[in-house]
Amino acid sequence: MASTTTLGLRSGVATGRAAALARRNTGWVFLIPTLVFFIGWQVYPILRVLWMSFTDFHFLRNQPANWVGLQNYAAALADPVMWTGLWRAVIFTALFLPGMIFLPMLLAILVDRVTQPVLATTYRLILLIPAVIPGPLIFVLWKWLYNFNIGPIDYLLVQTGLVTAQTAPQWLGDPRLILPAIAIMEVWWGLGYHTMFYLAGLAGIPHELFEAARVDGSNEWNLFWHVTLPRLRPILLVLVVLRFGTAMAVIDEYLILGGFNRALPTYTWTVYMWDTAFQLGDWFQGYAAAIGWIGAAAMLVVVAGLFWVFRSRD
Amino acid sequence: MAHAPGRQTDRRLSRRQLLVEVGAPVVGGLLAVSMAPAGGALAAPARVAPLAQTTSRPLTPTFYQWIIDLHPSVPQVNDAFKATAPLNFQIAPVQGFGIDRFVAEARDKNSTWDVYVGMTPFVEMSSLIAADVIEPWDNYIPQDVLNDLIPSIRNECTVDGHLYSWPFLLDIIIMGWNAGQSSQAGISSMPMTWDDVLADSQQVVTSGAAPYGVVFDAHGWRSLAPITHSISTNVYTPDLFFDFTSDPAIQALDVMKKMKALSAPNVLNPGTTDAGVNDTPDENAFAAQQATYYVKYQNAPLRFAATWPDPNQLQLGPLPKPQGGEGATVFWTTGACLFKYGQNKDQAAAYMKTLSYDPGIWKDSISGTPTAHPGQLPPYQSIYAGWNASPPDWMQNWVPLVFSQLQVARAIPNQKFGLTQFNIGQPYWEKYITGEESDPHVAMQAAFDAVQAQAKQSG
Repeated sequence: MASTTTLGLRSGVATGRAAALARRNTGWVFLIPTLVFFIGWQVYPILRVLWMSFTDFHFLRNQPANWVGLQNYAAALADPVMWTGLWRAVIFTALFLPGMIFLPMLLAILVDRVTQPVLATTYRLILLIPAVIPGPLIFVLWKWLYNFNIGPIDYLLVQTGLVTAQTAPQWLGDPRLILPAIAIMEVWWGLGYHTMFYLAGLAGIPHELFEAARVDGSNEWNLFWHVTLPRLRPILLVLVVLRFGTAMAVIDEYLILGGFNRALPTYTWTVYMWDTAFQLGDWFQGYAAAIGWIGAAAMLVVVAGLFWVFRSRD
Repeated sequence: MAHAPGRQTDRRLSRRQLLVEVGAPVVGGLLAVSMAPAGGALAAPARVAPLAQTTSRPLTPTFYQWIIDLHPSVPQVNDAFKATAPLNFQIAPVQGFGIDRFVAEARDKNSTWDVYVGMTPFVEMSSLIAADVIEPWDNYIPQDVLNDLIPSIRNECTVDGHLYSWPFLLDIIIMGWNAGQSSQAGISSMPMTWDDVLADSQQVVTSGAAPYGVVFDAHGWRSLAPITHSISTNVYTPDLFFDFTSDPAIQALDVMKKMKALSAPNVLNPGTTDAGVNDTPDENAFAAQQATYYVKYQNAPLRFAATWPDPNQLQLGPLPKPQGGEGATVFWTTGACLFKYGQNKDQAAAYMKTLSYDPGIWKDSISGTPTAHPGQLPPYQSIYAGWNASPPDWMQNWVPLVFSQLQVARAIPNQKFGLTQFNIGQPYWEKYITGEESDPHVAMQAAFDAVQAQAKQSG
């Protein structure tokens, strides 16, 4: 009996270890698909491009690539086209970010105040309409809106007499207007999507805080500055970091709406990188990779700064 | 009961576990793989002799999307060809003038497709040859077809004595105009010189027949190069770069500046699709009947006049020239290239012969269809001889006029910067057109220097 009990106890221990091992390995199994995708489509390309940036790799050449150390980086840092392109991306980001951050916040605060459920839902639906339109259709729509010859914006401006057919704004051709024009398009496109972020954040703020603040005599501005904004800091951090990255890395819109004219502000560092990698000469992808890494490093520095600015102060 | 020391009771994976037990080994392995030694993974395959043909699949041609859009007869040709051999027709997954997919497959000694219809020699042919993606048609194109090619077109498609492009669709830079507007302005003849164009355009504007007198496509290969050729075609350096600093090029730039003054204010803007080369402001202006005279390849005025209430108002004619000028223009063909690592090469040649000689393709192209009127022309002498001998009832007056230009037209030479040199130089020469630079020599020297600097940087 004792042996049976002992045996049972031993088999119970063995079963327990096997079960623990199985439970531990189950976690890994469920992670495998994500890991495969993350490593294969994110980590590996990044490391590959990093390696490429230290070589003289030309995609169209039949010679093996050679290690050149920091030569590509030195050339890129001395390349005025790269710096001009980086600066243009900074300008676009400066135009785009405030609209993408503060306008949705304001709209969310206003929509959050609507107490009538049907009306609140209606506002949310209207705001989300641009978000569900596919990108190519967005470009087609705004390309038509901004068209100098037949677009409705310039047509209305000419009709009102503010401009003539000769002096109407060239939204997609005037170097002073093209970046603001694209920024307006992007803000409109993302307005509803980002408003939902803020609405979710506002829903998490206890109403008691507002009531207590009002009892203490706070006005609307004080409520916003001392109650709402601090509680929205995590949302702000996410949106600012995400949108900073996407704004600096914009390329599709520039290629579709600006082409490869280097005189236009749409010829940014990303377009230059693409041009170098897939169009110019023998496609000097080692150099293009160095341009990409310099831009990425600059962005990482700014992102680190953003994390410090939006750090928790509790 | 107390747990034994070290026993993991929490089933969740901690971040530390994930990073230490999985991330570090994997990233280390990836680093090792990525650091391919020189001559390893980053090395391209050395050139090899043409491969023996294999036929494990049907003939698989791939087309640039716009060709199908403008030539709706192609599917009918494909259906007829399928009666003789299996055919797997596909649309190429390319944007703009992209060839990266083709190059990537060639590096793996592989090709999803057998033949690509959409290559323009001065744009991407040099790159495809350099990257060992394509092989010549020499061993496959029938001799009678080779001899039937118009000589200048055959030269355009030939590199080092080998025919790398099977030409299919011919475009020539010409002059189109809205005859209704020119008549309204009191103009009764076709402008033959650039001075005529400028004078007639001013008359159009002054009379109010149209807001703008003339429009042109600001891309250099569609305006600067052909206008230069109308003056002289001896404007290329020994290594086949366009010589922006040549006297004919500077004269052409001056013509463009004068045309800009009579043109739509946005005529220098890039297009808004396909990396800026399509949906250009000149197209919008001409389609909206806002400009009377139009300098571009023939299929542009044909396509956009089709939107007019009366498309018959469109007239086409040769590109003007200055007094004493050579009177040439620019032409190019869109053709087919043979993938080196493709299959069914004999069938590919049979297919291209069938396609390029199909009478329905040319009838629809010249006379138009409900969906398109591209006006692109064939590359074969025999077809024109047949039309001359027995003109079809659908033939249009502009065809002989446009074709006559081919006798004096010159293709932009094939080299790696054939097209991109104009992208690079454009910001500089446009400074003279906009008035930002007063000396055209300075503007053009800057354009030339920029191209040379880029060529040196790109290696």
